[in-house]
Amino acid sequence: MRRGSIVRLIVYGVLAGTAASLVAVFVPWLPDSASEEMDRIVFTFWFTTVICIGIFAIVAAVIMYCVLKFRAPEDDDADGPPIHGHTGLEIVWTAVPAVLVTAISVVSAVVLAKNDDAGDNPLRIGVTAQQFAWSFEYPGEGDQPLTTGRLVLPVDQAVKLTLHANDVIHSFWVPEFGQKSDAVPGIETTLVITPTKVGSYSVVCTELCGLGHAAMRAAVEVVERPEYERFLEEAAAGGATQGTDGEEIFTSAGCGGCHAFEPAGTDAQVGPSLDDLAASAEAAGEEPAEFVRQSIIDPDARIAEGFQAGVMPKTYDRTLTDEQLDALVQYLLEGGGG
Amino acid sequence: MTQVHETRAPAAHDHHAPAPPRRGLEHLTGPGYLRALWLTPLFWGIGFGIVVFFRWLGGYDPLLDWDVLTVVASMTTAPVGFLAGIGAFDYWLYYISGRPTRPEDHSGHGARTWHDYFRVNTDHKVIGVQYLTAVFVFFVFGGLAAMLFRAELAQPDLQFVDGQAFNGLISMHAALMIFLFIIPAFAGLANFAVPLMLGAPDMAFPRLNALSFWLLPIAGIMFLTSFIAPGGAFGAGWTAYPPLATEQPMGQLFFNMGVQWAGASSIMTALNFLVTIITMRAPGMTFWRMPLLVWANFTTSLLVVVATPFIAGSQFFIMFDRIMHTNFFTVGEGGYALAYQHIFWFYSHPAVYIMMLPGFGIISEVIAVFSRKPIFGYRLMALSLMAILVLGFSVWAHHMFVAGMAPWLRVPMMVTSMIIAVPTGVKVFSWLATMWEGRIRMRTPMLFALGFVSMFVLGGLSGIFLASVPIDIAASDTYFVVAHIHYVLFGGSVFTIFAGVYYWFPKMTGRMYDERLGRLHFWLAFIGFNGTFFPMHWVGLQGMPRRVSDYAEQFGDWNMVITIFSFLLGASTIVFFYNIIVSWTRGEPAPSNPWRALTLEWQVSSPPPIFNFDEVPQVVGGPYEYGVPGARHAVLNGAHVTTEVREEEAVR
Repeated sequence: MRRGSIVRLIVYGVLAGTAASLVAVFVPWLPDSASEEMDRIVFTFWFTTVICIGIFAIVAAVIMYCVLKFRAPEDDDADGPPIHGHTGLEIVWTAVPAVLVTAISVVSAVVLAKNDDAGDNPLRIGVTAQQFAWSFEYPGEGDQPLTTGRLVLPVDQAVKLTLHANDVIHSFWVPEFGQKSDAVPGIETTLVITPTKVGSYSVVCTELCGLGHAAMRAAVEVVERPEYERFLEEAAAGGATQGTDGEEIFTSAGCGGCHAFEPAGTDAQVGPSLDDLAASAEAAGEEPAEFVRQSIIDPDARIAEGFQAGVMPKTYDRTLTDEQLDALVQYLLEGGGG
Repeated sequence: MTQVHETRAPAAHDHHAPAPPRRGLEHLTGPGYLRALWLTPLFWGIGFGIVVFFRWLGGYDPLLDWDVLTVVASMTTAPVGFLAGIGAFDYWLYYISGRPTRPEDHSGHGARTWHDYFRVNTDHKVIGVQYLTAVFVFFVFGGLAAMLFRAELAQPDLQFVDGQAFNGLISMHAALMIFLFIIPAFAGLANFAVPLMLGAPDMAFPRLNALSFWLLPIAGIMFLTSFIAPGGAFGAGWTAYPPLATEQPMGQLFFNMGVQWAGASSIMTALNFLVTIITMRAPGMTFWRMPLLVWANFTTSLLVVVATPFIAGSQFFIMFDRIMHTNFFTVGEGGYALAYQHIFWFYSHPAVYIMMLPGFGIISEVIAVFSRKPIFGYRLMALSLMAILVLGFSVWAHHMFVAGMAPWLRVPMMVTSMIIAVPTGVKVFSWLATMWEGRIRMRTPMLFALGFVSMFVLGGLSGIFLASVPIDIAASDTYFVVAHIHYVLFGGSVFTIFAGVYYWFPKMTGRMYDERLGRLHFWLAFIGFNGTFFPMHWVGLQGMPRRVSDYAEQFGDWNMVITIFSFLLGASTIVFFYNIIVSWTRGEPAPSNPWRALTLEWQVSSPPPIFNFDEVPQVVGGPYEYGVPGARHAVLNGAHVTTEVREEEAVR
């Protein structure tokens, strides 16, 4: 190889590498990290990116060089030199990538071990997923856990989430926390998160779980320690989180994922609108409270025009208590104002 | 100089005259669509009768269970009736019943008019074209599904479709593209090229070959008709995880059964390829003289034979849970939901190599021919295919890093997933070295080959990110995965399919495609492809999950960009279809060897004679000896083989 070719090849490589680095730096690839685990994931990400940019630059430089330098004129019918291989070169491009991927594997394995380690005394919170809502169980007094529809976490405290699913597979993800795990019916999965930034985030369901999948979200708040204590006290004292407030149940049971209901500010169209249930009950010739209650626990009993049977989960008689159902029916009929 | 046969051998026609014309009722009883028209409903009735009889016998209520009837009558016996009607089983039934089988009647072999492409035909070249035509029809349907849901995703909130329709569209897009486009498109290209490359007159089992093809339209129609099933199309994604899949509307059954038909087709074709490659190589065609496309299909067929039964099983389990009330995945009754994912991915990870290795073979042919150089490191290229085959079975659980499986399984699966990048890297570097100092011709197949190499490298690199468990935990089930899969399956597999179609188009049709339109197609596809899928990487990492019909406002701008580029990508295929259709009917006649390639298929006329070679070719050297003075791959006219060469062969 002539020296000129080597220089040209290196120039192409530097150009391709620079272009790739610019894309890597100027595009916001990752959300702002808000947990220790995400910090480590971000480190692994950039470690891998640097290696990948190097490989990309080499491949791009060779392709560019070949296309520009070795392109034959249209009327040329000569063959290239009959080079069949080069054992040394073949060993190099088998061994070097093997070393690089081993390096990435080692870094990844170390990070994985750290990200799975919740320390000695993590805060334990249960997460229950169902179509199409999340609920969270905090350890309460005695056996009775405190159940809420939003996740409030104290900052800088390792949390071990234990995930369950009531119906199909869901997946718990807060992009800023990095960590993700499926919630699988029948088994228990866990996830470690150590939030580092006070703020509001969102739980995103990332496993296709049915028609309301896109709407299956829950609010996450990372707060200072005193505020977290206050939240727990309020929850224990009954407040909005005890589980017999219609509006709270509407949110935590995920009704808004599929139904429009003006008092709750939801506008989804997967299922029929709940804005004028009294009229629907009248049309069906039934007593409104009984009509609404039956529509929740046995949704296929009567199907609104333009909608299909078999879409709404039939699990609410199991997942909601009688008191909660009453509260929800009352909220749906009276819109919170009553 | 190698003897070139420019004309079809007329002798072949004399011995294999078409069957005598039909008279009267023979139109209804002879193989064809008319017989299919009455046999299909008859068989449907038989299926219906069997179900109703046994339900009545067992006292089941209700007597007419439409889930069961659909599976048995509509999706099992009726398709068998259709196959019997068009004549897929005629020879075997004649043989079984002791009637004369007329082995000399080759009326179903070779195509004389375009009608012959719509009949059961045992000629591998006809079947290859049938495959390709059929799969491009399904490619259009799969593409239209993508256009529809991209239109929906252009803006947040729901505009055009509802939730079930959206889930149906994404599931349909993936199912069609995987099971009815990429996998069978490679089967079609290989069907055409492999027997020719081996110097064989046909595949080992031509009738099985015909049957394999005819199972495909059945699978495709089954997928597509699920849109009219009550409740809409299957909407649990192509991965169809239970319990969601067992609770889906009836459309899910169409997916369960469609996969069986497509899978059966795959397995039969793979067996056929294996036997053909092992037993039907021309004299002198040792394994180390086979073109890399043949090597690629050999390894792919091994993958298919071992892996495909697993997806068949997984879909049967889902279906049995639904219609036979078994409890494979029913949690409350002792079922285990994750078992499905292990079985499914034990097929579906090897499946990505089923969708990639034949493409590697195509690219090896194209790059060697258009660089006018021998493939760099031929033996290592073949061995790396085998390495991928073996490693491919040890990486399935990298799809399940966040699925809740046994935590100890993650690191070993990460290591094997990383290591599989090594043989893949060897192939990429060898292609680059093949081009080095070559005399490169930038014809359309070569453009697609280069597009493939660059896009596949990007897809491979994002694969490294996903193999790393901590990064995968953040990226899993987001648009980053969607970007990765399309870089390897579109920028990878589909580009190789286009390269292959353009490369063998002159051989298949006897006409040249339009070079300028070919280039236009490439550049539109290349730009549209990158504009569509590159932004998905960061959109996903920042927080947009896959398979959502609605998303957060912050992703609105990028999704609009993605949708616009996806329409450009869609438009690029219009150029492709226009080019192919017009060139097929009116293109310039193709010479027998427009690319001056050495492999055997280019040493016969375009299109090849009905039985490929008038004389059995004698293979005397490697397939890629470009630039080697006096080297040749094969000698076609036996008279021209020198005694020295023959003796040399005898020693080997």
